[in-house]
Amino acid sequence: MKKVCTNWAATFTSDLVSAKYWNEFKQNATNAAAEIHEVNSWAEAQAKVLELIAEQKATKICGVGHEENAEVAKIYETISGLEGVTLHTDKFEIAEHAEQSHVGISCAEFHIAETGSVCVDTKSFEARVTSMLPEMHIVFLNKNHGVNTVEDAFKIISPVFTSGHMGFITGPSRTADIERVLTIGVHGPGRFVIIAIDETNGGAA
Amino acid sequence: MAENNRNIRKEIDTKLNDPVLRGALARFAEQYPVARLKAYENVEDVDGLRNSFKAMKVDVVEHLEEIADKFEASVKARGAHFYRAKDGAALKEYLNKVCKENNVKRIIKSKSMATEEIHLNEYLKEEGYHVMETDMGEWIISIAGHKPSHMVMPAIHLSKEQCAEYFSKELGRKIEPVIYDMIQTARKNLRSEFIEADMGITGANFGIAENGAIGLVTNEGNARLATTMPRVHVVVIGYEKLIRNTQDAAKILRLLPRNGTGQRMTSYMTMVDGATPIIHKKDGQWVEEDRVCHVILLDNGRLEAAKDPVLKEVYHCVRCASCLNVCPVYTLVGGHVYGHIYAGGVGAILTALLHSMGDFEKINELCIGCRKCVEICPGKMAIPDLIDELRARNVKQKGLPFMVSAVFENVLSSRKVFHTLLRAASLAQKPFTSGKMIRHLPLFFAGLSKDRSLPAVAETPLRDRMANLVKKNKPNAKKRIAFFSGCNTDFVFPDTGENAIKVLQDLGYEVVFPEDQSCCGKPIIGMGDRETAKNVAIRNIEAFEEAKPDYIISTCPTCTETWHKTYVELFADDPKWKDRVEKIAHKVREFTSFVAADYEKLGRLNPTKGNEKVTYHDSCHMRRGLGVHEQPRKLLEAAPGYEFVEMHNCDKCCGMAGAFGVKYVELSMPILKDKIKNIQESGATTVAVACPACMMQIGGGLDKQAQGIKVKHVADILAENLK
Ligand code: SF4
Ligand code: SF4
Repeated sequence: MKKVCTNWAATFTSDLVSAKYWNEFKQNATNAAAEIHEVNSWAEAQAKVLELIAEQKATKICGVGHEENAEVAKIYETISGLEGVTLHTDKFEIAEHAEQSHVGISCAEFHIAETGSVCVDTKSFEARVTSMLPEMHIVFLNKNHGVNTVEDAFKIISPVFTSGHMGFITGPSRTADIERVLTIGVHGPGRFVIIAIDETNGGAA
Repeated sequence: MAENNRNIRKEIDTKLNDPVLRGALARFAEQYPVARLKAYENVEDVDGLRNSFKAMKVDVVEHLEEIADKFEASVKARGAHFYRAKDGAALKEYLNKVCKENNVKRIIKSKSMATEEIHLNEYLKEEGYHVMETDMGEWIISIAGHKPSHMVMPAIHLSKEQCAEYFSKELGRKIEPVIYDMIQTARKNLRSEFIEADMGITGANFGIAENGAIGLVTNEGNARLATTMPRVHVVVIGYEKLIRNTQDAAKILRLLPRNGTGQRMTSYMTMVDGATPIIHKKDGQWVEEDRVCHVILLDNGRLEAAKDPVLKEVYHCVRCASCLNVCPVYTLVGGHVYGHIYAGGVGAILTALLHSMGDFEKINELCIGCRKCVEICPGKMAIPDLIDELRARNVKQKGLPFMVSAVFENVLSSRKVFHTLLRAASLAQKPFTSGKMIRHLPLFFAGLSKDRSLPAVAETPLRDRMANLVKKNKPNAKKRIAFFSGCNTDFVFPDTGENAIKVLQDLGYEVVFPEDQSCCGKPIIGMGDRETAKNVAIRNIEAFEEAKPDYIISTCPTCTETWHKTYVELFADDPKWKDRVEKIAHKVREFTSFVAADYEKLGRLNPTKGNEKVTYHDSCHMRRGLGVHEQPRKLLEAAPGYEFVEMHNCDKCCGMAGAFGVKYVELSMPILKDKIKNIQESGATTVAVACPACMMQIGGGLDKQAQGIKVKHVADILAENLK
């Protein structure tokens, strides 16, 4: 998949990226109506995804990020085996089916404590539609890959962002345009779910 | 231009009588400051952040051409097309060509002020394109046929019932006024527009010179979708959005969402850089290719503004609209009366620069100079000062209306004529006064005194009492003070003037009153007539130089500010006067802060608790012009016999603001009523002020609406406790 940066994690430095920002991130993301699930392994992450698929009664799903992450690829294999569920991971198939899909799954690069945002690399078309068109968007996030402030986030972004498409997602799509009443789920997903994996506890198994 | 014939008084009246609008704006005005503060809770140094943002903008304006060139080169290097449009017409022509070249039929747009400024949608429709606005609020007002009434929440003036009606009409079926359902209905309708669109047009919240990227913040995700799907992406960006580096975007992103909507970040922050890949169907086959991208940099008056030594400050604006949210006038009437698409004080400025001076003339008086906006603006833009500047230039070019200039030239600039008239007024008003207030006015002026009594011109002005007062100057005085009364203290509240002088004498000062002093000139400056103002200033300056004072003291913060700041500015380019004015302006002090400093040294600032509850109203000029707010409170806390309590919105304008309170009674009165309510709810039976104009307004309001409560100048309260 085309990306702004092929390996974000390789650019992280310990003065910027740390596990210690998790709690503030979690607080701010929750305030922004993101749903957060903390898991200790990819196996747990998979279980959570399956649960969400069932809960959403999703039968059509788009997923990206498997080319870069073998764990994600394994989860997609499992989903493909589910009865009554179709998973699209090919970019042309995603282009064709994203609009009718119930769930989109992708990966976030890191999180930002100050705002409760996750940083996403959406240079590829399939990553963009996967995150925007389905009703529910699930991202996998390395729980320990967090920065403190937006300033720090841009210290990571600045050197690698030379062209393409990327940004932050902070909770689901929302509006307050009628009587200033907060309404979730306008043009983008109505549910934004973060599955945060703590890989230090043997998560990479 | 048609808008020049607008009857703005009538428009204001309609808005004041629109309960939906009034309710929505009043609720918002209460909730917004709280939400904003909460969003900033986790920013350590907000002021430092604002300063560094401002410094960044100052640098951009100074090097605008260089940065624009860099931006252009970066955009082109990444395979996108680039065009500089000198105005709306040029932009439209270019865009039309792009549409034709790419066989574009269907266009989706995400909210962009720059495109609204040049009425792009209307043009594209006329040219036969199918254009759809996708921001929910913009979409609603577009189906309603309205103009936006707020820069961030364009449909804030509509209720859900009104929205449901417009939805029903647009969709040809009955839509119930249930907000969630309406949004879902709109989502479905607009979704197909995104899928089928050939072109997406977006604005930009910033454009980065070093890599050619643009950034967009939205909550709904429409801008993100517009950059996701269509095979052609057009960015319309104004010069003011340019920044040097990617890192600079962080400052904007820390300020804009917090100030704009009270969020720490919007749902989506999207950056697009160059021609990004898309997948679409070509001749029945899915293909992946880089999409066509055009970045159009819009001038339309911006380059000229950047070269203007004063007005270039508009580049500090990030269009967060928070200046509207706190503006006492905007929050009463909403955005429509401002005529063009930019509302509020900043709207008046942008309208003048990007649209027409004719429209500015109509609306510039709707800024009452309270400086609430300056306090909150991320870029610390001095909105009321820029309005003053534009007004002055307009007057210089066109002159004032005959009646006004006749008054200024013949009355205000001659102290003798002015004062003779005031004395005549004191006699003429006799049949209408009771106590110190004019309760009934001749029919013509009825509106002026409906919810507010007007103070009567005093029988014996302060200047006539001075002969007796100077006798009480102590021998061997430590320093000499020349008292500047200002018109109000001299002719309307001479008792307060007397009290202030007694307080100063009690502190051991010699107080003198230069006889030739007159109006400080603020009303004239406010109308933009700087030449007459200079004449008035010179006379005051000469009179005070002659008195050889150590300090010049005034009980009016507006006069103080005018002496201190405006006089200096008026003569900044006048080598003959510059030094002289600076020297004398340096001696000017505001009464309460001056006295508080002395009381502190004398150990007279120990808090006490008396029986009478007193609250304090911050005058706009005092708090935000002079930055004085702690000292009067300390004086009140220490005043024997009083217990100090705060009121809600203590620093919100009382609605007087010079001539505004008289000229726009219909706007001034609701602002005053709000103030009176807050005073009553504080439980105080005395409201203290440190400004004679506020004293006039609040006193008049209390007389009509809450007779049990007294208004006193801080000087009056201090004098009560002199031995
Ligand atoms: S002037 Fe300041 S407060 Fe007003 S919209 Fe611009 S940035 Fe925001
Ligand atoms: S100075 Fe006051 S009245 Fe003028 S624009 Fe700012 S907030 Fe509004």
